Amino acid sequence: MTKLLATFLTLYSATAFAILEVTILKKSEDAFPIVISPFLVKGDAQQGESIAHIMRDNFNRSGEFSASSADYVITSQVDFDKWQTKKVEAIVIGKLEQVSKKIFNVEIELLDIYSKKTLYSKKFAVHNSGIRRIAHYLSDQIYFALLGKKGSFDTRLAYVTVTNKGRGNREYRLEIADSDAQNPQTILRAASPILSPVWSPDQNKIAYVSFKNGRSEVFIQYPFMRRKTQKLPYFDGIASSPAWHPNGESIVLTLSKEGNKDIYSYHLKEKKLTRLTSDRGIDTEASFSNDGERIVFTSNRSGQVQVYIKHLKTGKITRATFAGSYNAKAVFSPDGKSLALVHRVDKDYRIALLDIATKDLMVMTQNKLDESPFFSPNGSMIIFATNKDDSGVLSVVSILGLQTFELASKAGEVREPNWSHYSK
Amino acid sequence: MLKNILLIISVVLLSSCSSTVEQLYQKVDPRPSVPTDQENLSTTQESVIAPDSSSFRPQEFAGSHSRSVDQNNSARIAVAKLKNSNTKFVLYFSYDGSEIDELATQEVIKHANFMRDNPMLNLRLEGHADERGTREYNLALGENRALAVKEILGLYDLSSRIEVISFGEERPIAQLHDESAWQQNRRVEFIYQ
Repeated sequence: MTKLLATFLTLYSATAFAILEVTILKKSEDAFPIVISPFLVKGDAQQGESIAHIMRDNFNRSGEFSASSADYVITSQVDFDKWQTKKVEAIVIGKLEQVSKKIFNVEIELLDIYSKKTLYSKKFAVHNSGIRRIAHYLSDQIYFALLGKKGSFDTRLAYVTVTNKGRGNREYRLEIADSDAQNPQTILRAASPILSPVWSPDQNKIAYVSFKNGRSEVFIQYPFMRRKTQKLPYFDGIASSPAWHPNGESIVLTLSKEGNKDIYSYHLKEKKLTRLTSDRGIDTEASFSNDGERIVFTSNRSGQVQVYIKHLKTGKITRATFAGSYNAKAVFSPDGKSLALVHRVDKDYRIALLDIATKDLMVMTQNKLDESPFFSPNGSMIIFATNKDDSGVLSVVSILGLQTFELASKAGEVREPNWSHYSK
Repeated sequence: MLKNILLIISVVLLSSCSSTVEQLYQKVDPRPSVPTDQENLSTTQESVIAPDSSSFRPQEFAGSHSRSVDQNNSARIAVAKLKNSNTKFVLYFSYDGSEIDELATQEVIKHANFMRDNPMLNLRLEGHADERGTREYNLALGENRALAVKEILGLYDLSSRIEVISFGEERPIAQLHDESAWQQNRRVEFIYQ
């Protein structure tokens, strides 16, 4: 079963998309078993098939489901007894009808195998350029119908790719893609490094660090608007590591005014700079909790590189990490209860999950150089970058079942993934 | 401030038992014969020298006055001479460290003398880190390394002629993922302009 699914996923991505590839590394045995049947298609068959494929990939990647196909198209006459003996809990069936050259009617239904009831059904028309988006949207709907919580599928990633152009020249690209890393679009190309892209809470802007003027500076780009890229004002020294306040009005960043690297908050409209930390050591990699009440950041103030939390109301700073000699680049989970961070194990750097209250730390990955963890907006997955076979790889690890999925770039390195918030 | 004092102390100790910064000045100006034994130096890791092209970049000179071709040429020759005198244009650092050790301090002092002898030259210090750890932390670490070098040069009143840049782990010299590559990548490069 696992093998079949893995083969299937690889095959699918190899034929449909050249750049990134999905491969299952580990499979949980107790995931929720569902079948997503091939859709009944009238007209252009290929377009329709991709919806079911994309949905299966999505559900498997979440770690909460084991989604498989059926070897024939299941229509509305579902043989519930047969699926019960196969231990399937729910079935998704669908119908696609070509209305005109580029318009399809889509019908979808989610059936509970045991109660034999319809849990979700929907019928609508879609333009063929919106097929991927619809597949992600439907994944979110079915995820909600089955688990009662929001899915993270109809969302976007931002990340940096690097390709070697020979003679020591590199090309850096800032790319955005769907939550499954498909449908990538380059929004910025540069010969100098691009670092730390972060989606704004409204998903219309991306803040990032560029070296285009010879030193690190923070910029804000509007990927979906004809609007000029904005540069944050010049601050002496390093300006780096941006992160948005959840209200989108200010950005925290690292500045090295007077050589001392501390965390500041910059209010975009009021153009006001507020200092949030002042320590002799390095303070960097700050990001907010979803309620905006805390920031988490990396500091070497203890002599080691560790993670700290500052409560903005009280001004109190507490150390969050105690296990190991190196913990960095932490981000809050959406519920604010845990942190995903980079944790050093002997000589390797891995992604770990820290329970803030109990201080329990769980190492989630097994590579040598894992970096930049970031939660999916519903908190069920963590995306991260890693160094493997001399190239960078984007991977997703599910919190439940700890399954890891690779979204690997063949062209070169992929770095610093950032996951957008929910679509509105 | 404490760091400053510590640095001064370490520099002073190195310049054989002087006790004040003023005395240190006298010790190095007029130019001293460099008190370290070259054999020892050349066998250490620090003896790796950056390629010539990276030590002088007239095209990037961004000062208020521009130089003539002749001035650029004499600047280039001066930098080349400094290189031939076995002065290091790249200093290396320990893991997660930005401390300048004894031998490296001697190299920085050679650059201080050179800058005083060549007032038309500005210096750009580029700090770098190895690939281990997070990119943003490494960006900060690279700046700390370059600032540590600048701090010593600042004792010679040269701060206004020095620009500090950090590239973090983004510009490795060695591309492999092992200790020998990491050693080469934890560095500060001296680039005259």
